[in-house]
Amino acid sequence: MILALALVISVLFGCGAFLLLKRDLIRMAGGIILISNAANLFIVSAGLSRGREPIYPLPAGERISDPVVQALVLTAIVIGFGTVAVLLGMIYRTYTARLAKAVDEGDETGRTPMSMPPEDRVAD
Amino acid sequence: MSMSTILTRTITRLIFLPTLVTAVAVLVKGYAGAGDGFSAGVIAGTGVVIQFLAFGPRELVARYPSLRRAPLLAWSGLLLGLVTAFAPVIWGDPIMTLYPRPGEDVPHLGLLAFHTAVLFDAAVFLLVFGFIVSVLGTIGNRYGSEGADS
Amino acid sequence: MPEEFRVLAPLVVAALGTAAVAVLGAVRPRLAPPLAVATAALALSATLLMPAGGQVDLPWAPTWGLRLTFAADGLARLYALLATGVGLAVLTYAAGYMPLHAAHEGYPLSRTVRLYSLILLFMTAMLGLVLAQDLIVLIIFWDLTAITSYYLIGYEREQEASRRAALTALLVTGISAILLILAGVLLYTRFGTAQLPDILAQVQAGPFVTATGALIAVAALAKSAQVPLHFWLPQAMVAPTPVSAYLHSAAMVAAGVFLLGRVHPLLALSPGLQNVLLAGGFASMAIGGVLALAQREIKRLLAYSTIAQYGYVVVMLSLGAVEGAAYYILAHALIKSALFMSAGAVTEATGETDLDRLGGLARPLPLLAVGSGLAAAGLAALPLTMGFFKDEVFFAAAAERGGLVSVLAVAGAVLSFAYTWRFWGGIFTGRLRSQVQRIPATLTLPVLVLGLLVMLGGIVPDPAASLAAAAGESMAERATPLELAYHLDLHAPTLMAVITWVLGIVAVLTAPRWTAAPRVVARIGERYGPDRGMFMGLVRLTTFSRRSRAFLEVRNLQWRIATVLVAAALVVGATIVLAPPWPTFRVGRLPTSDWPLFLFLLLAALSALVATRSAGRLILVLALSAVGYSLAAVFTFIGAPDVALVALLIETMMTLLLLAVLGLLPIGLARAPAEHEPHPGRRRAVGFITTAFVFVICWGVLSWPAPDAVMARAHLELAPAAHAADVVTAILADFRGLDTLGEITVIAIALLGAVTFFVSRRSA
Repeated sequence: MILALALVISVLFGCGAFLLLKRDLIRMAGGIILISNAANLFIVSAGLSRGREPIYPLPAGERISDPVVQALVLTAIVIGFGTVAVLLGMIYRTYTARLAKAVDEGDETGRTPMSMPPEDRVAD
Repeated sequence: MSMSTILTRTITRLIFLPTLVTAVAVLVKGYAGAGDGFSAGVIAGTGVVIQFLAFGPRELVARYPSLRRAPLLAWSGLLLGLVTAFAPVIWGDPIMTLYPRPGEDVPHLGLLAFHTAVLFDAAVFLLVFGFIVSVLGTIGNRYGSEGADS
Repeated sequence: MPEEFRVLAPLVVAALGTAAVAVLGAVRPRLAPPLAVATAALALSATLLMPAGGQVDLPWAPTWGLRLTFAADGLARLYALLATGVGLAVLTYAAGYMPLHAAHEGYPLSRTVRLYSLILLFMTAMLGLVLAQDLIVLIIFWDLTAITSYYLIGYEREQEASRRAALTALLVTGISAILLILAGVLLYTRFGTAQLPDILAQVQAGPFVTATGALIAVAALAKSAQVPLHFWLPQAMVAPTPVSAYLHSAAMVAAGVFLLGRVHPLLALSPGLQNVLLAGGFASMAIGGVLALAQREIKRLLAYSTIAQYGYVVVMLSLGAVEGAAYYILAHALIKSALFMSAGAVTEATGETDLDRLGGLARPLPLLAVGSGLAAAGLAALPLTMGFFKDEVFFAAAAERGGLVSVLAVAGAVLSFAYTWRFWGGIFTGRLRSQVQRIPATLTLPVLVLGLLVMLGGIVPDPAASLAAAAGESMAERATPLELAYHLDLHAPTLMAVITWVLGIVAVLTAPRWTAAPRVVARIGERYGPDRGMFMGLVRLTTFSRRSRAFLEVRNLQWRIATVLVAAALVVGATIVLAPPWPTFRVGRLPTSDWPLFLFLLLAALSALVATRSAGRLILVLALSAVGYSLAAVFTFIGAPDVALVALLIETMMTLLLLAVLGLLPIGLARAPAEHEPHPGRRRAVGFITTAFVFVICWGVLSWPAPDAVMARAHLELAPAAHAADVVTAILADFRGLDTLGEITVIAIALLGAVTFFVSRRSA
């Protein structure tokens, strides 16, 4: 199990790093999401014991999972979500600022998917 | 943004209240089983977001004008958390002392247990709920005002 | 109990009055002025009824040893009397002034309600400040006065001059308040208590006390508008006259010297600091006096005069004449507010603020001239007024020091004489140069009352003297009697007073010869003075930040990220080469019960790989959510149900968020934009390298034999004591509750950021 966990964590991190290096800002945000997922998985697997859920009544004689790492990761997940929300806000502002600039220079059409009639929307 | 049918809208309207009740239930049972303030907050937030998806921001805010005050929920959650943590200082106990103390009985009302840790979890609930509704509500409003753009 | 109530009564009355005026004034604007005046009168009576030496001690945070202590000692009583008494006069004046002012400026009467409640709030803050015996309470009220004065100075919100003046005042007094807080923290950590009497009993001479004293002194001097932090006061004259009459003669600027008096035992221990204060006081007297002679606008003249007069007080405090300083403050407050109020009345009557266009108003406004004249006589220290005694105590203190100090004292007093005549003579004597309208009696009455009090204090000096003596006693912690009487023998103070009058009359008579000189000084001050210094400082700060940003700005983000990753990989690689960890790596077992876990892990990895494809963004979002959901499943099978629940829910929310934001972007969900990503090979290489070094680290960490799980077991065992069946929830809410509190604060801040970015610019 140890090898499997290590492999998966590193694959997640590596894909995240790969995405982080792209120029498309949304892919960069995706990279950050993947890296935080990898970190969360790492913390949980670094728990001191792995077994049943740490909820009373505890089954006798069995190993119980380490509750401390679970508590840490729980808040980390929520804060990660908050961080991504702020990040997406910044990305949105960057795009609209760039768009305003592009419209001034007569570059892009400035249509977003939701303002286009349904037939014209590009689905992928 | 009316991509919903009568069926969707009816069902969505029907499940709004049960979603919120489920969230509160998860909050309250957090001490006894799986669940805590964080998950409760996200469940409640998801409930509101589903309403946004089905009805669109304009109609939803028209029906529930208090959605505009969603950040207030978050701030009150923060305030509640701060009060629960710092109030014990006033009567001489260290910070973050929860009552009833170890060894004392927890007053129960059936399966419902009353202790201040639930208050703290409720603070977390309000904050996460407020966060989700505020952020996604603001984004939703951008859809409502497409065309009259910044 | 009754004693404590009587000590706190003025504070409570003022606070309740503030709320009452604010609430009722919003409903019925006409009720606000009478209600405000009634509150001030009640507060004044409560102050008169305060028991001498009464104390209040309320422990409010016993864990940290914090107590709310108030005491009505001599100093507190003097200042409380000033705050409420002058406040009563000012509010009466405002009741007549504000309707006229509102009519001139053209805004409705309902907007003037704010002034009354703000002045009452300021009165509350002053009362709290002077009654406080606890450093924390004192600092809180100190800051409250600064904040209230910001709103009062910037009362005319639409005018840029008001906003700028308010901001300047707030910056100067606020930044120096930080020094006060610093001093407070130092004292608390050194002496273990925040109670002023305890601290003052324990202080001993030494560098620590000098340093702390210097910090407190800077904060106090900034508040009292002493050189070089004086430049905010003349600008603050844009405020309505009631504000100037209250704050900038009797209350706010008095708070600074109050603080100096409160910690006098601490300051008296360092003679070096006292000498610096002495020099600073004389500097204020000089600069204030000279610049007052250069002003043409009447309120600005009075502002500079205030700066100079508080220089007198600082000099006396540094010379150790605390009871004299207290008397001076008392006299000055009465005199200066009367003069400010008469200046405002003159402006309302004639519409002029410039001395060149005023004159000869004694005939049309006789009562105002009398009241103002009595106050002016006090300022010039003529006999039969309180002013005579205020200068007498000043000269007595200076004479004790001898020589240079006495000469400087006389020089300063001559300047005061000169500019006082410039003010009063310029307005009320000479040729009538402007039109005069009638003004209501409420504008003249307070001036007359205060002027009469000034004269009364000169005839019957004992009540004021005993007040000042009591104040001096609480400052110096020894008996400081103050006996004031008219001596006809030639002892030093009388001699100096006579010399001052003679020189003053000479100066007045030869005025046309030297009026140019102060104007030159004023112009030099504008060019090189501290006001310009602060302005230039702000400009330089902005330039510096712009240059730093240009220097530190990340031009090529990807390159920098790649550098970090590759460097980390190199470090790990070096470690492997130098200390091969092969023997410690373990593979671990894979029992049948763990197969679901294994499968979901595999799914997560595969989804991550899919996410790296260059297809459209929708694939990216779906792949990311697949990763999240698989991880949630992994958490389930790893025995973490709470985490799995949250991960599941958050992943749903994350997907919705991503889709929502993508829908807002141009070409959001379509294929990736046509611009090719350059250097795909390099990116793949860095990706592989990263995977490799992270793999080495993770495998190494996870292979480490798990130590005895003491921590985990402890948490598990303690949970029932916390009335919890779910240990993780207990850790979040109880054992590590403070961490959770910090984390929800982070989410609250993130909320602010996210909402700000998404809000439409028009409504932002």
